[in-house]
Amino acid sequence: MRKFLPVDDLARDERFNQITMRERQSDPRQASVAPSDSGARSRANRLTPALPNASDSARALMHGIFVGEIQALEGAGRTCHDFETGTEAPFALKLDMARQAWDEARHVEISVKLSEWMGSEIGQYAENTVLFEAACSNDPVLRLAGVNRALEGLAIDVFTTMKEFGTIAEDPFLEFCEDWMLADEVTHVKMGSDWLRRITENDPERRKKALEFQNVVDKIFSYGGTRSDSEESAIGLARRFRELAGFTEDEVEEVAELSLRALEERKAFAAQARAAASVS
Amino acid sequence: MTVTVAPEAFKFVSFDAALIRRIAEQLVAMLGIDRPVHVVVDETTPLARVQVTIGDTITVSVESGALEDTRRPTSQSEDATAATIGRALLMTRDRLHGGFGEAPADDDLTLAQVSAWSTYCAGRLSRLGLPISQQRWRYDYRNRHGFTDAADATFDRVWSADALTWAELMETAR
Repeated sequence: MRKFLPVDDLARDERFNQITMRERQSDPRQASVAPSDSGARSRANRLTPALPNASDSARALMHGIFVGEIQALEGAGRTCHDFETGTEAPFALKLDMARQAWDEARHVEISVKLSEWMGSEIGQYAENTVLFEAACSNDPVLRLAGVNRALEGLAIDVFTTMKEFGTIAEDPFLEFCEDWMLADEVTHVKMGSDWLRRITENDPERRKKALEFQNVVDKIFSYGGTRSDSEESAIGLARRFRELAGFTEDEVEEVAELSLRALEERKAFAAQARAAASVS
Repeated sequence: MTVTVAPEAFKFVSFDAALIRRIAEQLVAMLGIDRPVHVVVDETTPLARVQVTIGDTITVSVESGALEDTRRPTSQSEDATAATIGRALLMTRDRLHGGFGEAPADDDLTLAQVSAWSTYCAGRLSRLGLPISQQRWRYDYRNRHGFTDAADATFDRVWSADALTWAELMETAR
């Protein structure tokens, strides 16, 4: 079986339409949208049932979770297969990735059911392939930093926000399913944190490189401020669950600052774009 | 009745003004709208808000996300275009002819009222043959009226209703 599968070769049927982060960002309309533009009557933009467009936003996010779970399954599965046991990756690490693949497969099924419950169809929204792109590094430690720490860390934030959405709306299925998937995500992030520390224990340079890569992925996945501590962001930062997943207090602060910076950059960018549009 | 669309050509999105006009003309005929309709698309934003101004002409102002194909960002969806403009025109027809005189102005509607009225419109559009996902509207309704059997029963009544007044709609959705 082929190793190191490129993102273009991921198997999808005709229901899916994949787009890259670059394509998403090249949409000229995105420039003028500040994070607090979703229709809320105040600056608060956290995804809650109180937003006028709450149902549609939750459905779109649910579909994003669904395709993210597919790519996470593919990423964990590839990590089991792409590296030689012992010389490139310890057997126990691969066992953890196999367990994760099992979890992700279950999450895919749960996400399909939740999407149907919310009135969406498979493939109804474009699939952003950036998650799998982060899982294409040829160093297993970088993959763990990028996927398990950065992306699964984001999953903790997203699931926490969706669980709260379900709690407030009193949607029993959404609340229950997100809570159980959240528990798995905490485990996945903890695996990443533990393996990163263990493998790079005597290799500070490799650890530094992995953390830098995580930082880059975190920045990309801050989605221009979509996730941060600010109520202007649709998704909150789940500090407590991140700590349970092995993030130190300093590391949580670092993600928090990075996300807030991304939010401010996005707002400034949107203001500039609007000013330019009003001049022309 | 005449239908006009602005802009005539799009720079930010791959939308077709002629297609929007054709869909709106069909809806105007189907729904018996008795005055000119002007559709204004704000293509500079991917958001999906819709506003209607009723005067001698009915002006439907839509943000591009409301007409977009969510599978292919920046492309137009015929189904979304029909559903969005159809709902706006049905609400307008309700206000003009359907015993909705005491309905609050659009900006003063509560989220629960918006949800009930949208469900009432979606059900009617579905029976006119437009491809509308009932489950999508059921989920929206549940978010506003509760995830209970009682709320589901009122949803079914609102969805299948055809000639309600505002007071009857509010009573049915209670």
